[in-house]
Amino acid sequence: MNPSPEGRPEETDMELINRWRAGDGRAATRLVGRHSQALARFAASAGERDGIEELVQDTFVRAFASLDSFRGASTLRTWLFTIERRLMLDRRRAERRSRETVPVEESDHVSEYGALDGLIAEEAQERVRKSLDALSPTQREVFTLRVQQGLSYKEIAEVVGSTEGAARVHYHNAIKTVKEFLKDE
Amino acid sequence: MNKCTDSDIQEMLPDLLHRALADDVRLRVEEHLATCESCQEDMDVLRTVKNAAVFAPSIDVDRVVRQIPPYRTIVPATERPALPATERPARTRVVSWLVAASLVLVVAAGGSILFQSNGAPNPSSLTPRQLPTTVAKAPEAATPDRSGLAVAPKSVEPTIVAPHTHALALAADADGLSDGSLVQLMNDMDSFDALPASEADPVISVDSGDSL
Repeated sequence: MNPSPEGRPEETDMELINRWRAGDGRAATRLVGRHSQALARFAASAGERDGIEELVQDTFVRAFASLDSFRGASTLRTWLFTIERRLMLDRRRAERRSRETVPVEESDHVSEYGALDGLIAEEAQERVRKSLDALSPTQREVFTLRVQQGLSYKEIAEVVGSTEGAARVHYHNAIKTVKEFLKDE
Repeated sequence: MNKCTDSDIQEMLPDLLHRALADDVRLRVEEHLATCESCQEDMDVLRTVKNAAVFAPSIDVDRVVRQIPPYRTIVPATERPALPATERPARTRVVSWLVAASLVLVVAAGGSILFQSNGAPNPSSLTPRQLPTTVAKAPEAATPDRSGLAVAPKSVEPTIVAPHTHALALAADADGLSDGSLVQLMNDMDSFDALPASEADPVISVDSGDSL
């Protein structure tokens, strides 16, 4: 248990969950504050361009609504990543369907990517983003969960619905691709 | 530069980056890293990727928390079986399948009965040649005679019983029906299924003259 800035031992996720169940609303604030940025980073690394805050919000709403099914077999963060990933997949499916029916205008591309280019100002960020774009969606998820979030292969397998062995293979292929990309840049 | 063949160490590099290794393991990895150029290069890549995290917006925690519904206590968590939501006992799954199969059977049986009562041809619409017949008496089985030998059954002509027929099926047209048959026909017409209109609505073409 890590100490809090005030010197008191930091409460575990399970303790906060139990406090929330007992009616303490501040426990929910602590849990959201603890995990929201990691969820936002994961969404951005997985290629989400906009609506990340809504995605994180939906993840928490869904998670808290079904918190009784969380038994602590995995960490809360891994569980949250799993929920967020499912929401991302649902969202992408819905976007694909709408793209098939609604023609996307040229101005939409310009505004979306123009804004994104403005946000990614640092050259290093741009290079990393491009190198991640060169990966397959699963490779990208596995690689960012491993490198940026520090998840174990077991936890990654849980999030992406795969096996530890497959997660290892995806990681090795991903680092090889990213390394070559960054070397060539 | 030689490629590193120690895959265990390679796989632990992200853990080293996140300081998630036990002290003894960390020392082993760091010793390897000091002499392995390939792993040093991997480590540089990992640091670059971790430090240059792709832009993510900051999340308004209070706004998120406001959307979270209050906890509803349906059954105290301590009274529930300690199973993850994804792990359901096999017995529950079997019962679910049995219930599903029973429902399918009930629906199929119901559909079959409905089809027979509505979809099967009405005997009154068939000609006498097409009418189904009922065998009233089956041929008798071989019976032993007094000597104990089996005797083949006599050739028995099955008695054919014609089912109830409606007057319309026997008459060429309504003129040939008796008064009683006509009354029966009128009563039967109440139970006929609705038929689509035989004549289509007239189509009125309006020419505004714009096309000229």
